[in-house]
Amino acid sequence: MVDLKRIGHEFYKGLFRENVVLVSLIGLCSVLAVSSRFENGIYLGVAATFVLIFSELLVSAIRKLIPKEIRIPIFIVVIASFVTIVDLTMQAYSPSMYKVLGIWIPLIVVNCMILGRVEVFAYREPIIYSISDALGMGTGYTLALLIMGFVRELLGSGKVMAFGRTIISLPSAYEPASVFILFPGAFLTFAFLIAINRWLTSRGER
Amino acid sequence: MDQVVHLGLLLIGAALVNNIILVRFIGLCPFFGVSTKIETSIGMSLAVTFVMTLASAISWIVFKFLLVPFKLDGFLYIITFILVIASLVQLVEIVLRKTSPSLYKAMGIYLPLITTNCAVLAAATESVKPGFFKMAIAYNYSFIEAVVYSLGIALGFGFIIITFAAIRERLELAPVPEILKGTPIAFITAALFSFAFIGFSGLFGL
Repeated sequence: MVDLKRIGHEFYKGLFRENVVLVSLIGLCSVLAVSSRFENGIYLGVAATFVLIFSELLVSAIRKLIPKEIRIPIFIVVIASFVTIVDLTMQAYSPSMYKVLGIWIPLIVVNCMILGRVEVFAYREPIIYSISDALGMGTGYTLALLIMGFVRELLGSGKVMAFGRTIISLPSAYEPASVFILFPGAFLTFAFLIAINRWLTSRGER
Repeated sequence: MDQVVHLGLLLIGAALVNNIILVRFIGLCPFFGVSTKIETSIGMSLAVTFVMTLASAISWIVFKFLLVPFKLDGFLYIITFILVIASLVQLVEIVLRKTSPSLYKAMGIYLPLITTNCAVLAAATESVKPGFFKMAIAYNYSFIEAVVYSLGIALGFGFIIITFAAIRERLELAPVPEILKGTPIAFITAALFSFAFIGFSGLFGL
């Protein structure tokens, strides 16, 4: 019996309330490193979501066959296989983006978000909920990447570009603060992002 | 002599100029996770140095003598490296428990965490398959260079994590606005820290 309401619930919880990056502080490395440009976030977000969906799908499908003692190595091999697919696909179809993302593609394997969701969710729940959980968590991760990328690129270069088009640009009187594109900007932006998120949730509770 | 200078530059380049945490955002989870006390951060950095250097050395051997001759290097390297790291961590844990209980006590709890520490996988991937990182030189690292490079990464990791722990211990007592307490202020501190590291970029033309 498929519970439609539950599918929706599993999807929505990943967007904001249990957002992996902003609330659980998981998978930070890639978010901070890659968000120097808005466009990078789209690619890495889609890549990680793809790996997450298919890993959860596969693990959930074979969850009754996996012995408890060796589940972690099995999860890692499953995840690494899907990451290899992404690695080769990206190399073939968008070599320039592959160069920009570089080490972050193989590092999707050790992104704690994926191993965490597989262990906590897919290993216990049926396929259909696992997929909706993966979609929600992946979207939440991508959302965090995009917000970070948007703020950093806007403040750092005065305009936001994606796929060769300018989405939004600040008036020319604005002097771009390139520190936001450099590495300290990532820490700074993220610090204020969690502070704002915390402020909003605490205000909501009151 | 030339060889020594070259290796020294490689070490400094890996440790300071391209510092793995502050400049390249790899390994942030242990950075924020265990840097609350000096003692734990020393244990963690010892364990990381040990496993990282060993993992890179073994990955190098496996890559050059197993994967390349059988033409598997294009698509099997991610799975191979992560399995090398996971089994190495297990092995080190067993050996340490039997041979040196005191060292095992100091490092013990951090060892399992290292499997999912992206810094270790990154060091292995980069020292074996160069081209992913900024200092990218179009040649393959020799065995010695790979070991020195990953040792440099590990030293940079340890240096930052221990210094940061010292700062955070004092931060506990500092009057910080309620909304920034905890994680946000840690990120702002990291931002200031990484400002200092901008000074290293371009050093020796690395």
